[in-house]
Amino acid sequence: MRIVVLVKPVPDTTGQERLGPDLRVDRANVPAVVNANDEYALEAALKLVEAAGEGDVTLLAMAPAAAPETLRKALAMGAQRGVLICDPSLAGSDTLSTVRVLAAGLRRLEYDLVLAGADTSDGGAGVVAAGVAASVGLPYLSYAARIEPGGGRVVVHRLSPVGYDVIEAALPALVVATQALGEPRYPSLRGIMAARSKEISTWSLADLDLGDAPVGGAVATTQVVTARPAASRGATRVIREPAAAAATQVVEFLAERRLI
Amino acid sequence: MNGFEGLFGHVPGYLLVFPLFWGSVLFFGLAIARHLRIFAAVRASGPSPLAEFPRRVGGIVRYTLLQTKMFKDPRAGLMHFTIFWGFVLLTVGTANIVTGGVIQAILSVPASGVLWTAISAMQNVVAILVLLAVGYALVRRLITRPRRLAYTRGALIILGLIGGVVATELLAQAFEAARFGSIPGAFLADALAVPLGALAPAVLLGVFSALWWAHIAIVAAFLGYLPSSKHLHMATAFFNVYFRKLAPRGELPAMDLEAADASFGLRTLQDLGWKDLLDGFTCTECGRCTDACPANLTGKPLNPREMIMGLRHLAVDAERGLDLIPNSPLIRAQAGYDDATPNPGLLASAIVDQAIPYDAVWDCVTCGACVEACPVLIEHVDKIVGFRRNLVLEDSRFPAELTGAFRNMETAGNPWGQARSTRTDWTTGLDFEVPTVADLAAAGQLDEIEVLYWVGCAAAFDERNRKVARAFARCLDAAGVRFAILGQEESCTGDPARRMGNEYVYQVLAGGNIETLNRYGMAERTIVTACPHCFNTIANEYGQLGGRFEIVHHSVYLQGLLSSGRLRTAEAGEGTRPGRAITFHDSCYMARYNNVIAAPRDVLGSVAGVELREMERSGKNSFCCGAGGGRMWMEETRGTRINVERTRQALATGAEIVATNCPFCMTMMKDGLAEAASNAGGSVSAADIAELLADSLDPAVATGRHLPVLQ
Repeated sequence: MRIVVLVKPVPDTTGQERLGPDLRVDRANVPAVVNANDEYALEAALKLVEAAGEGDVTLLAMAPAAAPETLRKALAMGAQRGVLICDPSLAGSDTLSTVRVLAAGLRRLEYDLVLAGADTSDGGAGVVAAGVAASVGLPYLSYAARIEPGGGRVVVHRLSPVGYDVIEAALPALVVATQALGEPRYPSLRGIMAARSKEISTWSLADLDLGDAPVGGAVATTQVVTARPAASRGATRVIREPAAAAATQVVEFLAERRLI
Repeated sequence: MNGFEGLFGHVPGYLLVFPLFWGSVLFFGLAIARHLRIFAAVRASGPSPLAEFPRRVGGIVRYTLLQTKMFKDPRAGLMHFTIFWGFVLLTVGTANIVTGGVIQAILSVPASGVLWTAISAMQNVVAILVLLAVGYALVRRLITRPRRLAYTRGALIILGLIGGVVATELLAQAFEAARFGSIPGAFLADALAVPLGALAPAVLLGVFSALWWAHIAIVAAFLGYLPSSKHLHMATAFFNVYFRKLAPRGELPAMDLEAADASFGLRTLQDLGWKDLLDGFTCTECGRCTDACPANLTGKPLNPREMIMGLRHLAVDAERGLDLIPNSPLIRAQAGYDDATPNPGLLASAIVDQAIPYDAVWDCVTCGACVEACPVLIEHVDKIVGFRRNLVLEDSRFPAELTGAFRNMETAGNPWGQARSTRTDWTTGLDFEVPTVADLAAAGQLDEIEVLYWVGCAAAFDERNRKVARAFARCLDAAGVRFAILGQEESCTGDPARRMGNEYVYQVLAGGNIETLNRYGMAERTIVTACPHCFNTIANEYGQLGGRFEIVHHSVYLQGLLSSGRLRTAEAGEGTRPGRAITFHDSCYMARYNNVIAAPRDVLGSVAGVELREMERSGKNSFCCGAGGGRMWMEETRGTRINVERTRQALATGAEIVATNCPFCMTMMKDGLAEAASNAGGSVSAADIAELLADSLDPAVATGRHLPVLQ
């Protein structure tokens, strides 16, 4: 079972101000971490390889040159190697560029399954995985709560508002992971040590034969027009009562606003 | 006629003493040697025998000869002291018998036998005292049955053997005196002999012989039973005390994370050092550790005694297949049959889930009450952290809620995951500036500060503890102490990570802090902190990573400011309320680990109108608030809550304020008081000693800073 996991280094959201004065994500000053939802995808990939007893997990990322250190944290969880697509002309890319680049990267890799997180904590568009699947021509199975590969096919339990749909496709396929697949593991010290010597290949656009392709900030099809601070939340009401009385008040509060 | 006329000529079959006694000594030696083969198979690391020789010998005097720790339980202590010294003194008589009377022959020379007569008299007295002590011990075991004792058959066998060996010796002497005439010095035996004189000489001889041989037989049985009994501490306690940990108790063992093929932490017997096994073989199952353990007392699976005994059982299990007398190297070489080397499979059995349940590993608050309570100086806490290290670093197996704390420490530099940029928010509302070291360095004014205030994450981020930080800063300001903080450059010391077993995160954080402190030359200055955990780690543990700093806890620092007159409290009467009852809750890491007990009480004593009421468990015997050892970031789902129990103890004093000197204790006591049914209306509150002091400062000094505010 060879699995490629799409990962994205994103600005760390724990304990940091991640917006600059212009209200844009301040990538220069905020340390990067692996996008949290991608960690769920990676965890699912690692479990599938462990269950199969053979195979490996490759990370595929499009990120600035500083990203290898971030990828090492994902390698410490147990992925075997990383591929980082990194090119100065990719600065300012929109999702369409990202899709083109990741699809080109995937075409150069061998795999049975591609896993991706539901969305990222910085851009949050949530369309890259679908775009990559369409671009490469892979079956697209979204919102997986369960992934069962076998016999050249994969069965996915897709979360739906009322339960889940059981969907199936031939391999290779692209599956979007959800948090229902299980908490990402915390890397062991052995994993951290091993990750130091794992291979991270860096590919430029030229390596992908994308030298003339319409990618990067210059051809971005979307742009941020303006950014505004969010309206501040109203005053917090804290209910200090014994549990039963507090629950009643919370229910009344929500019911008044027709939220339940 | 047996060649010992005048000494043992009247004892039938006396010569059999030699094979019987010395044979049992040989058995004892071989059984101990078999234990030692397991010792030899584990890690060689352990204290060096001659390093700090005087301190080690001093420990022998204090803990084995005077048995100071035993007297924490005065009655049991006196009982044990009597039996121990009684045994030592009575051994003279037994040694005399098994050496053919050599000792008597020598000791009869001085003053024409008066010395030996005196020894005989003393032994009669001692025998009675030991019998009384054994009687008291039996009453405890059979009737009063204190909770901490383990009611095993072994304990009764041992008491029976001790009582038997003493009683048979004394009674044999009585029948001996009745049959053969008065024994010089043995006045009690002589007195007992008087009524026996009516019996026929043949009966007297028969009973004497039976008792005399019973005495020797019990001695031999004792030696045979000892190596497999809880009483082995007779042979091992001396060594365990001698080889005790001399490093500060709050310094966990160093760990090399870069060691290529190391296994991290403690997983199997082989990962233990020989001193750890010696701990196991020294345990007497007295249960003082378990009786002091806050986790155990609140119904959690952790039982320090069972853990230590579990290690011993694993070690004994590993002896399976080892013959008492190993076969010769010749047979090993030729027949390939090796009964001298422990079976690697048995040595590799996992400790967690065998010697200690997995859950119990995480129940420990690392409060060190068990270590403090142990009369033979067993180290429990270092082992539990060793198990955690293995689970975290090798298996990533730990309570799920710790993942967040670990990640927060790694990425945000604090366990709560708060933004670094808010680290100085606590200073808002102070009527003076709190400069950062970086600002002072930039202005070239770093030399002007007297101390660096290490704020710590709890005081920086927790709303309640921010008030403590402000109160402490007000005290410093009132005393005219120029201080600075690291601000955003401060990170968690790593103490919670280290005690939760995550040595990797600890070393990352500690390394960063050491680098920062050294960059500003803080190795030449004094650091002050209000957090006992920060204090302990910087004072006792940063040295392992090359960071050597002088750090003072705020309770000691404030005590110093008061005694030097730099801080003055208002006199009684000027708006103070007399008779305010305060109880002080000692933090484990100050009182027990770092011996800071008087300082916080002195600070409280300086506040006018305070009446200090001590809880039953205080000072070195304090009861943890429940938040140590990383428990602050774990759910407490097993048993009842430790802070609730401690709050109950605090409320029992009738105090209206529970004073603390630790931010974690503050949180736990505050929460405990808020939930306590007997504190309805919240009339009893928790306060840090710095807050109580800041609120009672002499108005003449409490207003304003004496120093120009830094521009």
